[in-house]
Amino acid sequence: MKHLNKLVTTLLIFILLTLGTTGCWNRRELPSLAIVLGVGLDKMEDSDQLEMTTQIIKTSELKASTPEESGAGGSGGAGAYWNVRNSGETVFSTTRDFTHKVSRKLYFPHNQLIIFGSSLAEQGVQEHLDFFLRDQETRLEVFVLVADDRASDIFDVKPRLEKVPSMKIAELMDAQAANSTTSIVRLNQFATRLMSDTTAPIAPIIEVLGKGNERELSVKGTAVFKEDKLIGQLNKVETRGLLWVIDRIKSGIIDVNCRDTIVSLEIIRAQGKISSEIIDGQPYIKIEIKEDGNIASQCCPIDLVSPNAVAELEELQAEAIKAEIQAALRKAQKLNADIFGFGDIIHQRHPKEWQELKDDWDEIFPDLDVEIIVEAKLRRSGSLGQPVVLDKEQ
Amino acid sequence: MGVMLRYLTSKLKYLKLVNQYYATNQKNQAPSQDEKTPTSLTQNLTTNLEILNGFIGNNFDLVIRKFTFGEHRQTNAALVYLNGMTDQTMINESILKPLLFESVPNSNPASNHSVIEMITMTMLSVAEIKKRTLIQDIVEGYLSGETILLVDGSPEALVIMTSDWKSRSITDPKTESVVRGPREGFIENLLTNTTLIRRKIKSSDLVFESMKIGERTKTTVCIAYIKDIANPLLIEEIKRRLKDIKTDSILESGIVEQYIEDAPFSIFSTIANTEKPDLAAAKILEGRAAILVDGTPFVLTVPMVFIESFQSSEDYYSRPYFASIIRMFRYLAYMLSILAPATYVALTTYHQELIPTALLFSMSAAQEGVPFPVLVEALGMGVIFEILREAGVRLPRPVGQAVSIVGALVIGESAVSAGLIGAPMVIVVALTAIASFVVPAQTDSGGILRAIFTVLAGFSGGFGIMVGLIGVSIHLASLRSFGTPYLSPLAPLSVPDLKDTFIRAPLWAMITRPRTIGWHDPKRQEFRLKPGPPSEEDASSN
Repeated sequence: MKHLNKLVTTLLIFILLTLGTTGCWNRRELPSLAIVLGVGLDKMEDSDQLEMTTQIIKTSELKASTPEESGAGGSGGAGAYWNVRNSGETVFSTTRDFTHKVSRKLYFPHNQLIIFGSSLAEQGVQEHLDFFLRDQETRLEVFVLVADDRASDIFDVKPRLEKVPSMKIAELMDAQAANSTTSIVRLNQFATRLMSDTTAPIAPIIEVLGKGNERELSVKGTAVFKEDKLIGQLNKVETRGLLWVIDRIKSGIIDVNCRDTIVSLEIIRAQGKISSEIIDGQPYIKIEIKEDGNIASQCCPIDLVSPNAVAELEELQAEAIKAEIQAALRKAQKLNADIFGFGDIIHQRHPKEWQELKDDWDEIFPDLDVEIIVEAKLRRSGSLGQPVVLDKEQ
Repeated sequence: MGVMLRYLTSKLKYLKLVNQYYATNQKNQAPSQDEKTPTSLTQNLTTNLEILNGFIGNNFDLVIRKFTFGEHRQTNAALVYLNGMTDQTMINESILKPLLFESVPNSNPASNHSVIEMITMTMLSVAEIKKRTLIQDIVEGYLSGETILLVDGSPEALVIMTSDWKSRSITDPKTESVVRGPREGFIENLLTNTTLIRRKIKSSDLVFESMKIGERTKTTVCIAYIKDIANPLLIEEIKRRLKDIKTDSILESGIVEQYIEDAPFSIFSTIANTEKPDLAAAKILEGRAAILVDGTPFVLTVPMVFIESFQSSEDYYSRPYFASIIRMFRYLAYMLSILAPATYVALTTYHQELIPTALLFSMSAAQEGVPFPVLVEALGMGVIFEILREAGVRLPRPVGQAVSIVGALVIGESAVSAGLIGAPMVIVVALTAIASFVVPAQTDSGGILRAIFTVLAGFSGGFGIMVGLIGVSIHLASLRSFGTPYLSPLAPLSVPDLKDTFIRAPLWAMITRPRTIGWHDPKRQEFRLKPGPPSEEDASSN
């Protein structure tokens, strides 16, 4: 009996403590959430205030799953999403102000993107990023993008395959690995570069093509920041040149000219390495690229079974890669933005010398000597040895 | 709060007093109950019949057949038996016929042999005959279907083994069906059940010890074990606990279980039961003891460990790979059955960030417009499921089908399309329902745990589930079944026994018996039993 008495008392205390102390204070049912999938930050056109666009999923519309039903409303907020705009001084106060417009609480953990409007990016993004880094609801792996024009326009372009524009852009980011001509930047990577003394943050650029119902979204090139301000952009070739150096190439196609025809070579593996050296107080940078490729398509009338022909193509490939890197380097030096992180490399390898160099880095970087060594190999020629149409002369 | 606690303690005090009252009263009453002092038979048949009538008279199934026998029909005698519990043919052919038509061999009055002795020795063609003088013994035999032969002038009666009553034939066990393995199951007849075990283990060391429990039902309860494998302390403890049962009725082995279990307040059962003779035999061979109760096909086996619930006899009959995979699925199914609704509740009300975005979309869409919180939904669906299950078990089979149709259609289809319940919730509950039947031994405790975990998850999310899991683990680790830790061989860890825990090792590798159960005689088999083609050495020596 004593045992039972004790048991009941312990059980009661246990239940009361667990249930009472927590008391479901942070309980939220799914229908009470406004799931945010994308955030766009712009400068107001007529004032200096911040304009924030949030793309919220309309879960009730998701049930009507056919695109005709959800897309019947035309442009704007129709469909399975709702773009809400609000203006304010800071990101956090603007976020809270959404309660005047949205009946549910904005829920950020599933946010896919942060898009900066170009005018805001030119003014500086640091103050607006703090909320996304500090708040415990937001994630560090969201994609950071820069809009060609205004960020809020991006969210209005209806996707063809997906239901929600933000999801489309997120999936578009994942698809970029096939070409490696767009940098894919997540918030933590962006913040890391922002924290560095010299390294310049980068972000992919997204733009709206076409007009009216024919509008499409497309990513192109890379936006380059100095400190936290947008100062210029890299085109696709320059972007890949950058990605070679920072070892972010996943796959891609290199076109090389071979006797007036074009041979497409597919990148299978790539490895980029930066090393530094200091000679007489002058820093030197050495970039080593190792690349393995396959022949994807060729019309060049040479027989690839012969080692000479392969060596020729390999050389062409190496030159093409080198040209891309040089293009990126020229642009970076012109913008005086250390997008490659050379400064950090020197800091790591020559910490003593760096103390003297770091203050003058802005003067050193534009004239920095960079040596590029590319070692490109061709591994396979696909299912064919010779092209289908051989040179008539042979 | 304080008021409630005070009320509860006062209730408990009251219960305590009631118990004390009965405990002291029983001590006073005990001798008076046993006042029926043993009565002996007399020499006179009529008196004897009268005495007997005093005990068993006034019953429609009582048969008293009076007759005379002997050379000159000079001796009066009577047969007393219970109609329906005896073999009529046997009484006619083997008792009455020889007595009526054959002459009693010349009994020399001077010799030591009495009439009774002569009849036993020369006339009755029945195997088991006992001589009894005490009325109580005679009545007990009569009630178990034995025939009583009273002869005038003899103070002894013959109790002749004629008991035979209708019993079910041996069929498939209803609760434990297997794809591969013996199809026979225990039945209600104790003797048949012991025979079923004896047929599996033809060893002189297999012991069946019986005792009668129940003041009124006098149910035969039988402990089966193998003398040199089972721990003698275990057998002693079982016998002690069984002897301590002082109740008027034992109708099923479940009643015995509740009187002898180690943790009566726990939701976990510490005594296993089975309907399959091969399973009972296997457990006896591992060093456990089986408790057979007359009148039920369910045989208890002790000690029980938690992982036993996840083992099936079929594991040992099929090859080890498949058996091991299936066993791991059983663990998974058990976790699912107790945690699936709780996890769903925790995810949807507290940890939405853990749900993959695409999944969150569909879950959120399904939840849109549902009027109840997820916790209420989960508990409601749980209750509906339990009601449906209970209805399915109790109802006659033709009606049962109707219940399942109504359940599937109304609850599954209509409730979702009417927007009362989210579709994912139905999936979760259906999954839970199916998973809960994978581990039949833990279905009852699983149902309770599921409800507790769901409530905990509803109040404090993943934290609540974690607290619950830790609590259950502590409780499980504190349990013992007849001295064996309930979580063994996991806690305390016994590495050699892991061969039959999460995986089922090949039979040739299971050399020793479970350490915590059969360690009295650990060696199960020879070391080199791994089969294979003859090695070159063998071939050359041949």
